[in-house]
Amino acid sequence: MQSNLKYSEEELVSLLKVQDQNAFSYLYDNYAAALNGIIIRMVEDSQLAEDILQEAFVKIWHNFKQYDDTKGRLFTWMINITRNLTIDTLRSKGYKKQRQISRDENSVSDYSDKNFSSDRFDTIGLRKQLLYLKPEQKLIIDLAYFNGYTQEEISKEMQIPLGTVKTRMRSGIIELRKLLQN
Amino acid sequence: MEKQDIISSALLEMYVLGVASQEENAQVKHWRVQYPEVDAEIKSIELAMESYAMANGVTPSDTVKEKIFASLQPIIQAVKVPPVYPLITPVSEKPSAKIVTFSPLGRIAAAAAILILLVSNVFYYNKYKNAQGQYAEGQQQLAEMNSHLTDMDRDMNIVQSKYSKPVALDGLEAAPDAAAKIFWMKNSGEVYVDPKNLPMAPHGHQYQLWAIVDGKPVDGGMITSKDGKNYNIQKMKTFGKAEAFAITLETAGGHPQPKGTMYVMGKI
Repeated sequence: MQSNLKYSEEELVSLLKVQDQNAFSYLYDNYAAALNGIIIRMVEDSQLAEDILQEAFVKIWHNFKQYDDTKGRLFTWMINITRNLTIDTLRSKGYKKQRQISRDENSVSDYSDKNFSSDRFDTIGLRKQLLYLKPEQKLIIDLAYFNGYTQEEISKEMQIPLGTVKTRMRSGIIELRKLLQN
Repeated sequence: MEKQDIISSALLEMYVLGVASQEENAQVKHWRVQYPEVDAEIKSIELAMESYAMANGVTPSDTVKEKIFASLQPIIQAVKVPPVYPLITPVSEKPSAKIVTFSPLGRIAAAAAILILLVSNVFYYNKYKNAQGQYAEGQQQLAEMNSHLTDMDRDMNIVQSKYSKPVALDGLEAAPDAAAKIFWMKNSGEVYVDPKNLPMAPHGHQYQLWAIVDGKPVDGGMITSKDGKNYNIQKMKTFGKAEAFAITLETAGGHPQPKGTMYVMGKI
């Protein structure tokens, strides 16, 4: 189903609204790897990641009418769908079993070692700099982004005031931005 | 807040990442309409996140696409969507063409970095959580093994004691395969019973040991089961003399005189 067609984001969106399969195929070819990369980093299990990826694309197909391009880019919308599905999976019981199995087979660490190695960061010189981010800043951003916790939930979970959660999250992001702009 | 303050506040990144609170989201949406600069900043954050995700993609196996399309098929056929012609005819071009051209890495927003974070962070956090779980599991197993070992030790001491006189109780009509063993300490008169080979006592019932003294059954105590599971060797009432031992199945708590079925018996 490889296609040489090229669409602008506008064209792609209009075609997907009317459920054009070629456009969907193009969407998959261009974005599947990017979304899969994000899921893998969240679940640490390539097989499970592909199951979630599949579910995410089916959902994107069926729910495409809900996409509103005035609210953000197509990819941002797709990331959000994918991330929410992944978080749901992480929170479900099924995943815990899955993780148990993966752990037994050592597949988690094998996979991560191959794919999460930081060669790519080193090329932009990020890896060391990220170490300077305070652990409490990192943890809050992680809990929010990767575990889908709301600020209130983080405040409860970590037993720190909501204001502190907000401050740490913002200061963490500002810190990252500084590191990346240097 | 002034435009520049908004842009430097990190709220826009939080908005794009979906980690802002509801009020913050509403606030950003409002600013976005109010200030074109804010809107432009949000778009550049989105683009940065997108280009980062693109650069760090992991190609899924080929079967995934097939599975997705296979699952769309029935619905497509059922609805019988009429062929739709692209609003703008797609141009056939270089296969390597991308949807958009990304600005160089020069200006990466923090949103992109968050996708990096999980490598150093979520990954290790989860590893840590796993390790923590494994450690707790290991500790629990160790505690179980220890308690098992202690039980075994005690059992062995009873069996191996030089004073211990074993008495085999054989299965009777009710349960010919049943068996039990008594270890009777000649020095102290302590009586231990090994009931491992008795059938599981039904719910609400318990085995009761009897010593036959001068031809009459005397209550030797109730045999308990742990968690409805294993019977261990357990200490019963002490007897100075007895001609035989027997075990009956009684309603839980037992009786002063045997009422239930006798399962095993052994003469000394």
